[in-house]
Amino acid sequence: MIEFINVTKRYNNGVIGLNDASFRIEKGEFVFVVGPSGSGKSTLLKLILHEEVPTEGEVYVNGFNIGQMHRREIPYLRRGLGVVFQDFRLLPNKTVYENVSYAMQVVEAQPRDIRRQVPVALALVGLSKKAKAYPDQLSGGEQQRVALARALVNSPAVLLADEPTGNLDPHTSWEIMKLFDEINQRGTTVVVATHEKNIVDDMKKRVISLEYGQIIHDVQKGNYINED
Amino acid sequence: MKIRTIKYLLKEGISNTYKNLLMSLASLAMVISSLLIFGVFLMITINLFYNYNRLESQFEIVVILETDATSFEASDIEQKIISDERVFSYKRVSKEEAFSEMKEMLEDSELITGLTPEFLYESFRIHLKDADQSEAFVEELSVMPGIKEMEFPRELLEKLGVFFRWMNVGSMFVLTLLLIISVSIISNTIKLTVYARRREIGIMKYIGANDWFIRWPFIIEGMVIGLVGAVISFILTSYGYNAIESYVNRELISGSLEVLRVKSLDNISARLLLLYVIIGTVMGAIGSIISVRKHLNV
Ligand SMILES: Nc1ncnc2c1ncn2[C@@H]1O[C@H](COP(=O)(O)OP(=O)(O)OP(=O)(O)O)[C@@H](O)[C@H]1O
Ligand SMILES: [Mg+2]
Repeated sequence: MIEFINVTKRYNNGVIGLNDASFRIEKGEFVFVVGPSGSGKSTLLKLILHEEVPTEGEVYVNGFNIGQMHRREIPYLRRGLGVVFQDFRLLPNKTVYENVSYAMQVVEAQPRDIRRQVPVALALVGLSKKAKAYPDQLSGGEQQRVALARALVNSPAVLLADEPTGNLDPHTSWEIMKLFDEINQRGTTVVVATHEKNIVDDMKKRVISLEYGQIIHDVQKGNYINED
Repeated sequence: MKIRTIKYLLKEGISNTYKNLLMSLASLAMVISSLLIFGVFLMITINLFYNYNRLESQFEIVVILETDATSFEASDIEQKIISDERVFSYKRVSKEEAFSEMKEMLEDSELITGLTPEFLYESFRIHLKDADQSEAFVEELSVMPGIKEMEFPRELLEKLGVFFRWMNVGSMFVLTLLLIISVSIISNTIKLTVYARRREIGIMKYIGANDWFIRWPFIIEGMVIGLVGAVISFILTSYGYNAIESYVNRELISGSLEVLRVKSLDNISARLLLLYVIIGTVMGAIGSIISVRKHLNV
């Protein structure tokens, strides 16, 4: 599903984002990526999304070789990946419903599929009542739910999240994380980069820990800091 | 691309135009001012050509027959003139007519006493459709028997011809330059609107939209603005122009002084509107494509 083979990412200014990282994520896994600020969590996710390309080594995602892809293939890679960011990234001119349905317009889905799927996705994140609202009329937690609904509406094989709870209070963070877990139970592979120590410790999922761009721990049912 | 996607992108483009009203109005103002400047030069050019053609059509070739030319020779020449495609109109002037013209010109003064039509020449006065053909036309006619001489303003025509060619090149150059400048001004304005929405473009890319899916709504937006701008500037231009036209033609040049005239737009206004619409929409579309290009590399 996702495989990194001795991947190093060196940015143009010489800074190392990721250093000789190797790991595999199988279908249906739930993985936390943790580490201090600047340790390379976002870099790892960006490589999966083809927002960056590896300097050395190889990255495979859903059968795409990230380092060798043609520009034209990038949209097709991304259609298999749902993404959620810390800052939600909703289209401000569109309603909640339109933000979610847009993701289906992009893949040229049938109108009747759109009319069926969008309410399902909104119901899943508990936002059916806010379908007509605009993003700036929603709380942070609600906006993140919209982003999640949008990420899920095309049933992607993988859901990526970069500090999805970074802007949310602890209670709301928990709710969002529980949603991720629910989505994972339905078979979607989930990769979440986060700073939320408590949540990581409680959820007992696989944890990949980074430091200075290197993987220092990769533990099943791990904790935020693994001192074993 | 599927029909429903095309419909969707059209709807997106149009709704974006009024959702980003302020930026749309800024672009619209740019389109209108560009087209107004373009229009002024276009009108000047149209009038230069118009007056050149008017001037040219006033030139005539005078074919003077020998005094002893037979009536067979004269009608042979007339036949040749009639059958020539280049001839716009001609007039056969008999000796009697020439005589009465002369009498009129000399106002029955003493110079004319003792003069009879027999001393004068029969002639043809010919207007060609295109005065540039005069040289060749005269050349061909000169082989006909019975012709004494032919007159036409050779030098003046040559000079005008040169002037006309330069005017042609010059006006094309200025109009093209204006269009290029307009596209760059408009694309810079659109760039601002695209810049304000670069996050939006980024989000679209993360969702997996391909470049054309992102680009089309912007192109349609540009075309809508270009279209509206074209119609508005056409209306402004024709109002302003008609005011100038009636002022110049009716007040300034009343009848006698007919050297220069301002062309009426009535016959060409439909074509002119079409030209504006095409230029406006194409400028809008190109402006959008240029402005979006940079932001697509995410
Ligand atoms: N576009 C870039 N150009 C240059 N250096 C970069 C770029 N993006 C990230 N870096 C550097 O790469 C390193 C890893 O950054 P990254 O964003 O992956 O960290 P992170 O673990 O996500 O941190 P945070 O928890 O603060 O989000 C940092 O030193 C950062 O400064
Ligand atoms: Mg980060």
